[in-house]
Amino acid sequence: MKNRIIAFIFAAAVMAAPAPGQTAQTAPLPAPAPIEKELAARASNVDEVTLGKNMLAFASAFMKDKGKDKNDNDEASARQLIEGLEGIYVRDYEFDKEGQFTAEEVDQLRKYYETGDWSPIVRERERKTGESTDVMVKLVNGNSRGLLILDVEPKEISIVLILGPIRMDELGKLKGLDGLGSLGALGGVQHSPRGDDKH
Amino acid sequence: MEESEQELRHAFDRLPAPASLKRKIMARRRGAAQQLSFPLFAWRGLAASIVSVSLCILAALVIYGDYQWREAEQRRKGEEARRQVLLALRITNHALDHMNKQFAANGRAHHE
Repeated sequence: MKNRIIAFIFAAAVMAAPAPGQTAQTAPLPAPAPIEKELAARASNVDEVTLGKNMLAFASAFMKDKGKDKNDNDEASARQLIEGLEGIYVRDYEFDKEGQFTAEEVDQLRKYYETGDWSPIVRERERKTGESTDVMVKLVNGNSRGLLILDVEPKEISIVLILGPIRMDELGKLKGLDGLGSLGALGGVQHSPRGDDKH
Repeated sequence: MEESEQELRHAFDRLPAPASLKRKIMARRRGAAQQLSFPLFAWRGLAASIVSVSLCILAALVIYGDYQWREAEQRRKGEEARRQVLLALRITNHALDHMNKQFAANGRAHHE
């Protein structure tokens, strides 16, 4: 009986353990940057979305298929976009007043997410107001395998990290979906970095 | 008149019971007891069947209820995940929208 229990536990452990190649293929979502906890404490509104590959696949099953309704088609496009993704990590911190976070804190955030794998495609700076937008892509063998957006407004910080194969032209199809008009803008962005500093 | 009186007297005369009467009565009582015990046995069986069927129906209802609950829970989680995906895409859109506005503002500034 004891042997059976040990055998069962062993079998369960073997089944639960990922296959050797599996961990290498699935890029894990990052842990939140240490500074994010402080920002969240100061923010008046915090939106947090962390969805792994399994949750994305689960969510896509509940998204609408193509239909007669235009919204259905847009949601179907969103579904198509997320189906191959490995993870989505989004944080949005809204503040009541300006000046509730410093440029140093934004730099800390930027440094935390900017690693060697990422190539910048957009770097926009507004030095007077401190507003900035960084868009980076993760390139593997010339294919984009991730998208990172760090957007800083006077009263808002948004971090968007999408892992997995992203087809920029697919983003363009989301233009019609309620509130997603600008996603299509990335469709036209090439992989050459576009920097624009306004003094 | 005398005839009828005689008949009446004869009717009121005590006569010994026939020897077979006791046997007949006892036999009839046994038969009645047997008739009574059979329906009681049948009722017990019927009650047991009703209880078994009720238990089966109850078990089926519990299983079906559990399945329905799991289904509803799964649907609720799916809808929540879908809502989260759309929220993530909206925030992404908002960030890109801000980027576009910055581009536009900087473009205007460069032209000026």
